Amino acid sequence: MGRRVVSFLIVVAALSGALWLGGLALAVQDQFFSVAKPPTKEQRPPTAETRQHDEKMDIVALGDSLTRGTGDESGKGYVGYMVDALRRQTDRPIRVTNLAIRGLRSDGLLRQLGQPEIQRQVAMADLIVMTIGGNDLFQGGEALRLNAKQLDEAKRRYAANLDHIFAALRRFNSEAVIFAIGLYNPFGDLNDAKRTSAVVRDWNFASAEVAARYPNIVAVPTFDLFALHVNDYLYSDHFHPNAAGYKRIGERVASLITLTEEGEQ
Amino acid sequence: MSKLVYNEMLKIVRKKRLWVIAAIIAVLVALFTYAQYRETEELRKRLGTTDWRTQLQQQIVDLQNRLQSPSMSEEWRKYLQIRLKQQQYYLEHNINPSAPGAPTFMRTFIENAIDLFLPLLVMVVAADLVSSEASAGTIKLLLVRPVKRWKILLSKYIALLLSVSLIMLMAAVLSYAISGLVFGYGGFRLPLLTGFVQQGEDLNTANVHMIPQWKYILIELGLAAFVSVVVGTLTFMCSVLLRSTAAVMGIMLAALISGAILSNMVSSWHSAKYLFMVNLRLTDYIKGAAPPIEGMTLGFSMAVLAVWGLAGLLVAFFVFMRRDVY
Repeated sequence: MGRRVVSFLIVVAALSGALWLGGLALAVQDQFFSVAKPPTKEQRPPTAETRQHDEKMDIVALGDSLTRGTGDESGKGYVGYMVDALRRQTDRPIRVTNLAIRGLRSDGLLRQLGQPEIQRQVAMADLIVMTIGGNDLFQGGEALRLNAKQLDEAKRRYAANLDHIFAALRRFNSEAVIFAIGLYNPFGDLNDAKRTSAVVRDWNFASAEVAARYPNIVAVPTFDLFALHVNDYLYSDHFHPNAAGYKRIGERVASLITLTEEGEQ
Repeated sequence: MSKLVYNEMLKIVRKKRLWVIAAIIAVLVALFTYAQYRETEELRKRLGTTDWRTQLQQQIVDLQNRLQSPSMSEEWRKYLQIRLKQQQYYLEHNINPSAPGAPTFMRTFIENAIDLFLPLLVMVVAADLVSSEASAGTIKLLLVRPVKRWKILLSKYIALLLSVSLIMLMAAVLSYAISGLVFGYGGFRLPLLTGFVQQGEDLNTANVHMIPQWKYILIELGLAAFVSVVVGTLTFMCSVLLRSTAAVMGIMLAALISGAILSNMVSSWHSAKYLFMVNLRLTDYIKGAAPPIEGMTLGFSMAVLAVWGLAGLLVAFFVFMRRDVY
């Protein structure tokens, strides 16, 4: 324990003391005097990863509250029931990535597909299920408020967005089967059911037409599932399905999946 | 004067306490590192996927869904939006915000050590600086020398400041070096958010901004050093006032522990915010955590601590100058 050690320690202590003072000054400067600027964005190319041909089945769910499962007390939604049904049929491990956002419209989905990580998830998927368009048609979920002219305009815009969406999905992932789930008429028991049903049918037809332009995109109807006793299958908001409604949708999609897979092999 | 300081530093080094402190830090950091390691392993097993990007994307979608909820206060919405932006920022820059790395460990370590562990280590050095001389009687030898009394005390105080600085350095270096063995040494450029201000029930997000982790850690170290100096000064004062080192330790320990307990129960006792021991968690303000008492801010806490520290220093010098030594 020489004098050198002590002198050395004093110097080190003084130097690190200056560092702590600097930190303190930085704290004062940063917390009291800095002008907040919003975090800047800087894009980076997504890492190139594509669908892996492994045993695991990757399912990506996209879209709006229907895919999210709003209205189902158990929170499963049709995606959950679909996976339940699939698990009964296969031992393959299934991984679900649910990227649906409540209230999403076709333009919102198109924007979401611009995110690199979403693109990566889509690229890795073995199967894609999606619902979109419900919020484009029933704005706010109250009732059909648009008149004929507005409806035509909304449909035109929706079909154009859907075309872009499908094109983008096919660009990121050329193989995975896409199930585009159609709309039902939640207002089937109201006075103007005739009109709303006609509009929903028309809307579904437009979706199916767009889907038909691309390979391996299947438009799945749900209109018939809710045609009779619609209130038995709707949640208390009279718009979203309840657990029973979701179960019907989920089982319908699940039945399609097995068929398609056997067809592939 | 420099010789006096050197002399005091020599005494501290001779007592070998600094090495004991280094050993304590090393052992505890190794323990915490192992605990953290076990936890991350556990998490990995539970979530099934090792792909952090998938997890983060899922969190983002969850946030976006919560933002759709109509019954949400404007402030809370803003806060969630900022968190959303932060997470998207992480994703776009390919940074894993929960990536275990030595800098992340260091940051959490300082945040948790600032109110009890670091002050405790400082007390180990500060508690007997004067009282041991008084109880051993060596104070007389010190005071008969032709040096002004305040110079003697000042040299002791400077030696204390140097020791605090060394303790902080040991904590920083050891926590980085040891945890890095397990978690890796990278991660200093990880961007983090700071500048949240709690206003009652609401959150003021006007000043939120992003800083790299190295800057964040430096800020936290600066604040921790400030807290350590204040606690060290108060211990120093007690050491002047009392002859028994054990009594000094007892009083300061009681104060620190009462601070930790009080922080959890004083939210309705507003004047408690003027006690130094509930103001020790300065790093919480950087993080954006709620303060123990409404209305406390970083500036307030720093001011309270500074006043206590200065008062302690004045009392120490006043008493030391006036006291009869026999």
